[in-house]
Amino acid sequence: MTGPMTTDRRPMLLMSPALLWLFGLMVVPCLLILVLAFFRRGMYGGIEYTFTLENIALVFDPLYAQIFLKSAWIAGLAAGIASILGYAAAYAIAAMPRHRQSALLFFAVLPFWSNYLVRTYAWIVLLNREGLIVNLARWIGFEGELPSMLYTEQAVVIGLVYNYLPFVILSCYAPLSRLNPEISEASRDLGASGWTTFRRVVLPMTVPGIATGFVFVFVLSIGNFVTPALLGGGQFQMIGNLVYAQFLTANDWPFGAALSMVLIMVMLGLLMAQATVADRASGGKAGDNG
Amino acid sequence: MTTPLLSLRDIKKNFGSAQAVAGVTMDIQRNEFFALLGASGSGKTTLLRMLAGFEAPSAGDILLEGASIAAMPPNKRPVNLMFQSYALFPHMTVAQNIAYGLEMDRLPKAEIKSRVSEILEVIQLGHLAGRKPDQLSGGQRQRVALARALVKRPKVLLLDEPLGALDKKLRSEMQLELKRLQHEFGITFIVVTHDQEEALVMADRVAIMKDGALLQVGTPREIYEYPETRFAADFIGVMNFLPVSVASGGYQGKEGPLIRATEAPELAGGSAAVAAIRPERLGVETQGENSLAGEITDIAYHGLDLLLHVKTPLAETPVISRLTADVAERLAPQVGQTITLGWSARDTRIFPA
Repeated sequence: MTGPMTTDRRPMLLMSPALLWLFGLMVVPCLLILVLAFFRRGMYGGIEYTFTLENIALVFDPLYAQIFLKSAWIAGLAAGIASILGYAAAYAIAAMPRHRQSALLFFAVLPFWSNYLVRTYAWIVLLNREGLIVNLARWIGFEGELPSMLYTEQAVVIGLVYNYLPFVILSCYAPLSRLNPEISEASRDLGASGWTTFRRVVLPMTVPGIATGFVFVFVLSIGNFVTPALLGGGQFQMIGNLVYAQFLTANDWPFGAALSMVLIMVMLGLLMAQATVADRASGGKAGDNG
Repeated sequence: MTTPLLSLRDIKKNFGSAQAVAGVTMDIQRNEFFALLGASGSGKTTLLRMLAGFEAPSAGDILLEGASIAAMPPNKRPVNLMFQSYALFPHMTVAQNIAYGLEMDRLPKAEIKSRVSEILEVIQLGHLAGRKPDQLSGGQRQRVALARALVKRPKVLLLDEPLGALDKKLRSEMQLELKRLQHEFGITFIVVTHDQEEALVMADRVAIMKDGALLQVGTPREIYEYPETRFAADFIGVMNFLPVSVASGGYQGKEGPLIRATEAPELAGGSAAVAAIRPERLGVETQGENSLAGEITDIAYHGLDLLLHVKTPLAETPVISRLTADVAERLAPQVGQTITLGWSARDTRIFPA
């Protein structure tokens, strides 16, 4: 064995614990799900080991496809709102003097240090029929019956946006803070207004950050089952709740696996789209060479 | 008399309590190639940014063709800046970068297209129009940045250290290239540089800046041959300084004959002064009113010329004499040899100590 060969192996050695972890706890279970999705459900739970495409077909049954679309709509709404709010916040933070930026980022990420459930329960207190927001509206002078805000689609979206906003702030802050201020100045110098500079230079150069944040929120939201259960109050199901139910209450593992598989495919597709966006905006080494 | 193209009236700029520019007044003419020369922190870049519109003067006024532009935002000024970092848009191709400024002017598509390809021809990068900035070399990026600013045909083109990021050989090529383009486009260039050679080679006029103020403004020859201050004399090129005291009819060094100078400021008799002589005016064979003997301590070979370091009784540091290659070859000087250097009274500058 020669010298350079040993140095070449060192990175592999360093990566192997993480790779083993990923392989054992991520790749293998995913493959199991993939396999499971093609078996028949046993009479009393259990799994009958005969090949079938019924489970996959059932996912596209209007009843379930509708839940899929609904989940995608809610996740998309949450991701869209979080992207706009997060980008604006990141833009403001990046425009601050350097020494203040790390403190502001710290505050933006602060909610992460507390438990997800606790944070979601806090929203129940806020959105309750006798909650803070309703009381505030009464105090301002709003009279009459207020519509309940809890256990609605909006409550779920609010909960998802709130919980995942810090991801977007971080993913947008990274490219915004790296932007050379001379680039914006060059655009102004060449005759562009502040808005045109933002639209044609700043936004396209930082769009990978938005794409990353959007996909993050979307992927985490579409599979989420805690927030819809607590803030949606079982009024409607999202795909996460459906999968949860198949595995833990309906005992239909093959169908749960089929649902999971389609969900994973959607997520992978989105991650690939996001990688393409990031690649194109970075100057497009892998993009067009024309 | 016609109005100057650009007129700076007592421009000042403060950042908090620090004064970056301390009252600059000057005129720049049409088609001039003007260089602002100074060390970092001299205020030259701040002055340039005020001309581009990125900083507002704390006091004073900037007139372009007689009208004030001090309050005009950068996107409205008929002035363009080529940034030190080039600041090319990484997500756009070379052609899109160059077209950007023309699109902002809302020119018809056909005209934008023809002007972009025309300037690509001038900078000889037509074959790379579809490339992104990341795929270009440093020299190519520099030319794209230049083209992007030039294509707008501004009244004044500002260049912030335009050749700073290039290697030495490319830099001297581009010095002449910039001069050619300036001549071809008939646009006034104002270049900020800390490189004196760059300023002397390219500019019609050079302004030396120090501590936010103009020290001297003049042609490269005036700046080099007739520095007005000891700082300017020291800052530009190499200069020998000999401490002297003012005597009648000349200047007395530590020992030896009086040093003669044709032109000199009025100084009180007996007061301390310095005599300054350029190395190329101080020669082994040079005949002149002045002479100085010393011992050669070092010989530095530079190809084109030879620098002799000569220890003399008149100064602590050795004086430097520059011999051209042919003279050096004929004389074959040796370290340790004692020689006599001569120079003319015309080439002696006197500054108060």
